[in-house]
Amino acid sequence: MMKTSLYDKHVGLNAKIVDFAGWEMPISYSSLKEEILEVRNGCGAFDVSHMGEFFIEGAEACDFMDHLIPNDFQVANGKAVYSPLLNHDGKIIDDLIAYKLSDELVMICVNASNIEKDWTWISSIHKKSNFDCKIFNRSNDYSLIAIQGPKSESILKEQLGEIEDLDYYGIKKLENSHGSFIIARTGYTGEDGFEVFGNHEVINSLWDRLMSAGVLPCGLGARDTLRVEVCYPLYGHELSEDLTPYDCSLKWTVKSKVDYVGKKALDESTPKYKLIKISLEKGIPREGYKVMSNGEEVGIVTSGTMSPVISKGIALARVERSKTEGVKSYQVEIRGKTYEANYHTKPFISGGHI
Amino acid sequence: MATKIPENLKYTKEHEWALVEGKNLTVGITDFAQSSLGDIVYVELPEIGFELKKDDPFGVVESIKSVSDLYSPVSGKVVAINSDLQDAPEKINETAYESWLIKIEMSSEAEVAQLLDSNNYKSLCE
Repeated sequence: MMKTSLYDKHVGLNAKIVDFAGWEMPISYSSLKEEILEVRNGCGAFDVSHMGEFFIEGAEACDFMDHLIPNDFQVANGKAVYSPLLNHDGKIIDDLIAYKLSDELVMICVNASNIEKDWTWISSIHKKSNFDCKIFNRSNDYSLIAIQGPKSESILKEQLGEIEDLDYYGIKKLENSHGSFIIARTGYTGEDGFEVFGNHEVINSLWDRLMSAGVLPCGLGARDTLRVEVCYPLYGHELSEDLTPYDCSLKWTVKSKVDYVGKKALDESTPKYKLIKISLEKGIPREGYKVMSNGEEVGIVTSGTMSPVISKGIALARVERSKTEGVKSYQVEIRGKTYEANYHTKPFISGGHI
Repeated sequence: MATKIPENLKYTKEHEWALVEGKNLTVGITDFAQSSLGDIVYVELPEIGFELKKDDPFGVVESIKSVSDLYSPVSGKVVAINSDLQDAPEKINETAYESWLIKIEMSSEAEVAQLLDSNNYKSLCE
């Protein structure tokens, strides 16, 4: 089992530790509900050092990115792009955020569970193509804290100085007396917030200062409910190698570019599924529960939780397109009983990101 | 924080407590169970009159992230349910031994002998 550089601090804070993708990670510290509400109303800090960081460096780093991912990477310096990573069949290997630090330097942040698979894949694409750039897997060198919530800007400014010039999905390098950081205004909660990358030493020191400033430590449990409330997909739940971006409501990440890995297969594919958002007045939908419509099984809950913000059971569900065209009436089967679902066209809560 | 284990109650391996009063048995979940589950947000209980065998699932308690089955400590018939918990499941976190779930009229009082006493349960929680 792997541990992040902050592991001892989590133990010291009495965190409940669970195995997550081979990592011993804090799932919560005190009360899950308190952690979720603090991120919506104040500021919480998450250790997400288990995530992977790859760097692409060279004159054609951005051209390589445009070849690698289906989303458009023609963005300004200091901007980030969310994208799925596709195989040649147009199916989803992982999802990632690619950060353009400069014309010749890109950082990619990937899911912990997929670091090795992604690295093997990206290396093979890099080898077969002839872009003038080098790739580096620096996942073991970086720790990462996500600071999330409406108060995160003022709190992080006190700790690190100038950050207010960062826009949503902006990124910059920052060097000062506290160390050398890469700071991005990104996150997985829907709230305003930052992700701060740095070596283990400076991130440990930042964590200590955040705790001293009264920031609430939050675990992966809160992070998961927060992302379901704003309907962000998670690999292994909404996203998988059996699905294309069109099967999981990620059409917006596929831009009509000249060429990218998986484009041919994707252009020829017919979407089979779609993701829907549902809530229940009574009962909590959970992953794996059947989703019905007109008395027929049409899909499955991919992520479900109680939302402490709207006090309802909420879920993302994958349903078959052929059985659900125009359908807005869904039911969820829970322990043999059928519960009528509310159909949502927008995320359960909007989140407060800038 | 030490977990509370009142001596006057009986217990199950599934972390339920049982108060025995003649033929009637009142069932709830223990302080240890509520603490392990975290914030309880949903409780599902059977209908009054429901017949249970020992170890049958009779309902669930759910936290934000988890679902836990409840198992009947004895055989018998459900004669009362604590419907207050449906609107205020967090009471189980606040007062685990007052927030009873169901009352069972036992069909075989001999099954009580198979329940754990507080000392046995205490060693299970350690």
